[in-house]
Amino acid sequence: MTRGLSLLLVAFTLVATSCGDVAAQQAPILSGALAKLDIKPAQLEGRGAPKGTLTIAMHFALDPGWVDPLEHSYAITQMMYDYLVHDSMIKPMPYGYVTYSLAEHAELAADFRRAAFRLRPGLKFHDGQPLTTADVKWTYENFKGAYAKLFHDKLEHIQVVDDRTIVFHFKEPFIDFMDLYNGGVSGIGWIVPGRYYDKAGRDGFKAKPIGAGPYKLVSQQAGVQMVFEAFEDYWRRTPATKTIVVKGIRDGAARMAGLQTGELDVAFGMTGKLLSRLMSDRNLRWDPNFTGPWWLMFPGYNEQGSPFRDKRVRQAVSLAINRSFLVRQETHDISKPWGNWISGENRDALQGTEAPVPEYNVEKARQLMKQAGFPDGFDVEYLPFPPYFDMGERILTDLRAIGIRGKLQSLEGPAFRAKIGQGRKGVPGNRTVVQNIDPRAGGSKSNIAVYAVCGSPASFVCEPQIEALWTKHQASLDAVERERLVKAIQRILLDEYYFVPIYLNSFVHGIGPRVLPEGKAVSKYWDTLNAPYPCPWEVWEVKADR
Amino acid sequence: MKKYILVRALYSVVTLWLLVTLIFALVRLTGDPVAMKAEAGADPAYVAQLRHSWGLDQPLPRQYAGFVGRLLRGDFGHSFEKSLPVRDIYFERLPNSLKLGFAAFVISLALGVPFGMLSALKVNSVWDNAGKMIALLGLSMPGFFVGLVLIIVFGIELGWLPVLGKGSSTFVWSAPSTWATFWFSDWGHLVMPAFALGWYFSGAMLRITRSGMLDVLGSDYIKLVRLKGVPEAVVVAKHALKNSMIPVLTFAGLNLLIMVNVSIVIEVIFNWPGVGQLLYDALSNRDFPMVQGVVLMSGLLIVLLNFAIDVLYGCVDPRIRLSR
Repeated sequence: MTRGLSLLLVAFTLVATSCGDVAAQQAPILSGALAKLDIKPAQLEGRGAPKGTLTIAMHFALDPGWVDPLEHSYAITQMMYDYLVHDSMIKPMPYGYVTYSLAEHAELAADFRRAAFRLRPGLKFHDGQPLTTADVKWTYENFKGAYAKLFHDKLEHIQVVDDRTIVFHFKEPFIDFMDLYNGGVSGIGWIVPGRYYDKAGRDGFKAKPIGAGPYKLVSQQAGVQMVFEAFEDYWRRTPATKTIVVKGIRDGAARMAGLQTGELDVAFGMTGKLLSRLMSDRNLRWDPNFTGPWWLMFPGYNEQGSPFRDKRVRQAVSLAINRSFLVRQETHDISKPWGNWISGENRDALQGTEAPVPEYNVEKARQLMKQAGFPDGFDVEYLPFPPYFDMGERILTDLRAIGIRGKLQSLEGPAFRAKIGQGRKGVPGNRTVVQNIDPRAGGSKSNIAVYAVCGSPASFVCEPQIEALWTKHQASLDAVERERLVKAIQRILLDEYYFVPIYLNSFVHGIGPRVLPEGKAVSKYWDTLNAPYPCPWEVWEVKADR
Repeated sequence: MKKYILVRALYSVVTLWLLVTLIFALVRLTGDPVAMKAEAGADPAYVAQLRHSWGLDQPLPRQYAGFVGRLLRGDFGHSFEKSLPVRDIYFERLPNSLKLGFAAFVISLALGVPFGMLSALKVNSVWDNAGKMIALLGLSMPGFFVGLVLIIVFGIELGWLPVLGKGSSTFVWSAPSTWATFWFSDWGHLVMPAFALGWYFSGAMLRITRSGMLDVLGSDYIKLVRLKGVPEAVVVAKHALKNSMIPVLTFAGLNLLIMVNVSIVIEVIFNWPGVGQLLYDALSNRDFPMVQGVVLMSGLLIVLLNFAIDVLYGCVDPRIRLSR
């Protein structure tokens, strides 16, 4: 009887909430014409008692700065902590790349000069204080992370209509606002309690952050471990797991051992030599966790003296790579040969028949090399993304078959990133092949903006044809036209072999036996698009602690 | 004696200043941490703001002056990577390294000294050969190999010991009640890393003990004692052991410092949250303030130890203080 009544109550709450959403949508905030937004409604789930402890190993040292969205870097790693401690106005979820979260309703003026949000009622921070539009405004105004200058330069003023309604007024059309405000792209939409931050200070907040997310940080040892407890008043649902422990474990063998002894429930970065051990252990499971495609770049390809100046040489490189073999050797056939350098999960990316997997044809590649004037090949430097040196060696073996003799440079991760961050300038000479990967959120345009337009500090391609299309894209307020232009740029990059895609990487995560549900159904935790980590965390279930 | 101590103290200060200057300069030759932190295509304004907040937009002399000025106030700066004061992070990790270092130290002494003595007392016997073999294995089997074997056997196959971390006990400097708990709990976590770390040093210790003991046993005063008919056990325990331990203890003291400060590989393999792993992370991420802080603290410990040894030598042997 009691159970029946509870079910009735839950059903009534769900209906009332969805009616509330409809009513909210029926009461517009902005006057005038509105742009069409594709934001999925939030899915409210059950409330119950959290149980068990989930222990996760990251593959590097933990940074307390990750719990502070105000200094949000570009690094996608921070997203994992955003989803634990904080909550965003809109964010990617398994049921949509842009979904309502703290906001239950959003509007964007058709001229892209105003954006409005209505918060859902009854939102609370971990300390019980209400989350209001004052915090939304404070977070925007005090944000110092990636894209901060753009957000601040565009802003004219923020109008707080009431505790739940806020309007951003921009000096000029800000067509990318909703893309960038999305929690999957920048940190400005993850709302921080302004008053507490002012009181605690920068260091104090990092040591004891307060947010509105499903978990509270209860203790941390900088770089080593963070312990989170369920926040039972979280608006979307009660988190299923009571305690989440995140450990920073650099050594892959140690993560593997932790999974095998049951000290860990989830371990990230189980690639390379660890993969066969993981796959052969019957007690363990794994998720392929596709991130982004590998691709090759040719810094300085358009300069005098570069052998890659000739399109036929670049095409020969593509033809010489045996993608299926690489996938088998590197990832036990988990990864997929891929025909684009942008992940299919990123909006407007060419994929499938639009970007088929390039052909493997060594004979044709040799002929192209001969036609280009390199019958005996040439020497190059080869710069692989660390620590994927084995993969680099395999690609070099493929290239050797057509006469391209490479010397592999093995840099450590930060040094490689520093080089790539400088684009063309970071790689001296014009006889280097760079093997890169960048699972970047924000639509295909964000990948192009970084690597393929002249103005970007990290650009490796500067072509007048692409530049003209990009300029048009940046000036356009028409979403359909922008999509067309982004696809046209990708077409050029692929057809001209400026970038040579290899395969869609699987950044495998290992899963222990305590994680529920049993079997392969556990992969549901990796359903959120463009998220390299299995967010959101409130849905994770484990067996009760012994 | 006063003059001697003053001169030694001055040497120590100069050494520390050289260390401060060298580490400040060397760490800056390793690359630009801002370029490493900012992702490809980062907004130049974000990069500039990051550079400013880390103080790297200032000229080098000003950075150096600021660094030295802060050091004199006991402030090592803020970690780039961990966004918190270096001092807080270092002192949070130090007890873990001390615990591991002391445990490894005890293991190295417990294995090295008795086997070394046995080797020397039964020279050219089976015992001596066994001792030599242990020393050879200790010196030639690196700690990471021993660690991995231990993990596979005792952690994964037998499931007797945990393989990760130091356990749940923490050392809080401001809460003395935590001190004893910290030292005397979570031994299961300590056994394997301490053995893997102590193993190498036990080999070295064994050889030094053996050769020290052989030297002493062959000396004239021991021959005299034996001629007097003193039982062999008394000869060894009362007359030989004390003297043969002098080089062993000097060496052990230095080993202890090394075990506490640079057990990087063992800490990484067992995910032991000590100073070594902190330094490794900091170096990998070009976290200048953290590298500077850890190296300086390690250097400070070594300089202080050397100073103390110098002073003790001066006290014990007047010829030393007069000759310097």
